Amino acid sequence: MNRSSIFIAIFIVFSLVIGAQAQPEISPERKQAIDSLALEKVKDLGKYISIIGNKNTPFSEANRVIDRALELFSEGSQMGVSSLSSPDIQYYGIREYFQRLMALNYDRVTIEWFNIEYISDLVRQPDGRYVGVITVYQRFTGESDDGMKYVDTTKKDITVYVERKQTQIQGRVIGFWDVLLGDIRVTETKPG
Amino acid sequence: MKRLTTLVLIMQLFCAVAMAQEIGHYLGGEKFMYAETKQINQFFRRFNSEENLDGKRIYEGDPNFHHKEHRTSYIRMLFDNQNNDITESVKNEFIADVTNDDNAKFLDFYGGRWFAEVDTKFKFNGQTRTAVLFLELEKENLGIKWVINNVYFYPFTKLFYADSTAATKFLHPMSHELDFMNLIKVFKEPNTVEYYFDEGFKPDFRTLFLYEIKKGDLIFENVEKVSFHFFQLDNWYFQLREFNRQGNNSGWLISNISKIPEDQKEALLKYIHYEK
Repeated sequence: MNRSSIFIAIFIVFSLVIGAQAQPEISPERKQAIDSLALEKVKDLGKYISIIGNKNTPFSEANRVIDRALELFSEGSQMGVSSLSSPDIQYYGIREYFQRLMALNYDRVTIEWFNIEYISDLVRQPDGRYVGVITVYQRFTGESDDGMKYVDTTKKDITVYVERKQTQIQGRVIGFWDVLLGDIRVTETKPG
Repeated sequence: MKRLTTLVLIMQLFCAVAMAQEIGHYLGGEKFMYAETKQINQFFRRFNSEENLDGKRIYEGDPNFHHKEHRTSYIRMLFDNQNNDITESVKNEFIADVTNDDNAKFLDFYGGRWFAEVDTKFKFNGQTRTAVLFLELEKENLGIKWVINNVYFYPFTKLFYADSTAATKFLHPMSHELDFMNLIKVFKEPNTVEYYFDEGFKPDFRTLFLYEIKKGDLIFENVEKVSFHFFQLDNWYFQLREFNRQGNNSGWLISNISKIPEDQKEALLKYIHYEK
């Protein structure tokens, strides 16, 4: 979790925990705050993907960023990727996906994001955690020095797990909502 | 408390803007992405008029919540416009019915009577075969989950009741006097054993499916396609499919719709489940 996310998490703790003890129901106001935190995580992920995919990023730095990116995810999360030419879903572990991104054989890789995201409702699972899905769109451009260029636009449906947790600060038990990313379905789209 | 909340909002806004700048510039041309029905969740919200034009959730008390005119235009957008079988008159009748002032009809995620049909690929005896899984939502504890409640796998259908000489397949009523010695004939012909079972016997494909998976003879490969069947609205059935295509009429859309009396829905349900 980077510094800004920590700031937001702490503010959410203080603004929401009061009066919310042992109340797992999510009010519209709380949902909005959780959505913001989840979106921050998604944006962090976007930033990490751009760094990992950038050919100018040194190998050691890319690996460090992969480790940071993995902290956003719950254990066992996967990417399910399909394209227009190959609709079969290919399944990758998150680390494997990042390593494949890092190893792409382009001289220049650009990853851009469309200024739109869609956030679903949060639905409670049998284990008490809540789950939602955030949808974002991304354009990938890979260019080689010999003039080869590959462009695709993908829709990413990102699972978001929301869990009520507790922590102790100066002896006081304080509850907070923690957000982790889960499986991601990546679909190539036909834009326009 | 109010000041604190304001501070949180300002902080969040600041952080979001900072993040956006870190990621790089955003692309333009998102118009079709706004129009696209991106999730089933959005289909529900649009159908019910529970979100604004930006896709933000609205709640009871908001003047646009369940707004009749908004629903009318939203629902019109939720049909696959390239499907000529869905006529304008059916669309109009459906929209008029579900937005009727006296008895407006809304979709309820938790309301049951809707389910998913998922075509999957499995490796079976060295060949890739399609298995159709039917999933529905089931409540557990205070939460909810998708469960597989039916399976259709074509190779299983060939295992049962395929013999044309069925009329001669029975254990005669005095078999008990011979210690059922004639059972040897029954099990000598594995292809017809099911004819010796009681009238109510119905092969359970789910159990067979599980058995083959646990034996290691059925190995999951992939999800091929997903659709959803809605029986939730009285006297209507419709199907949702995802249309990945250019233009604004894309995403999760109504691909099939029928006005159907409630007492005929059971037959349609059986048809969808490949039951005779």
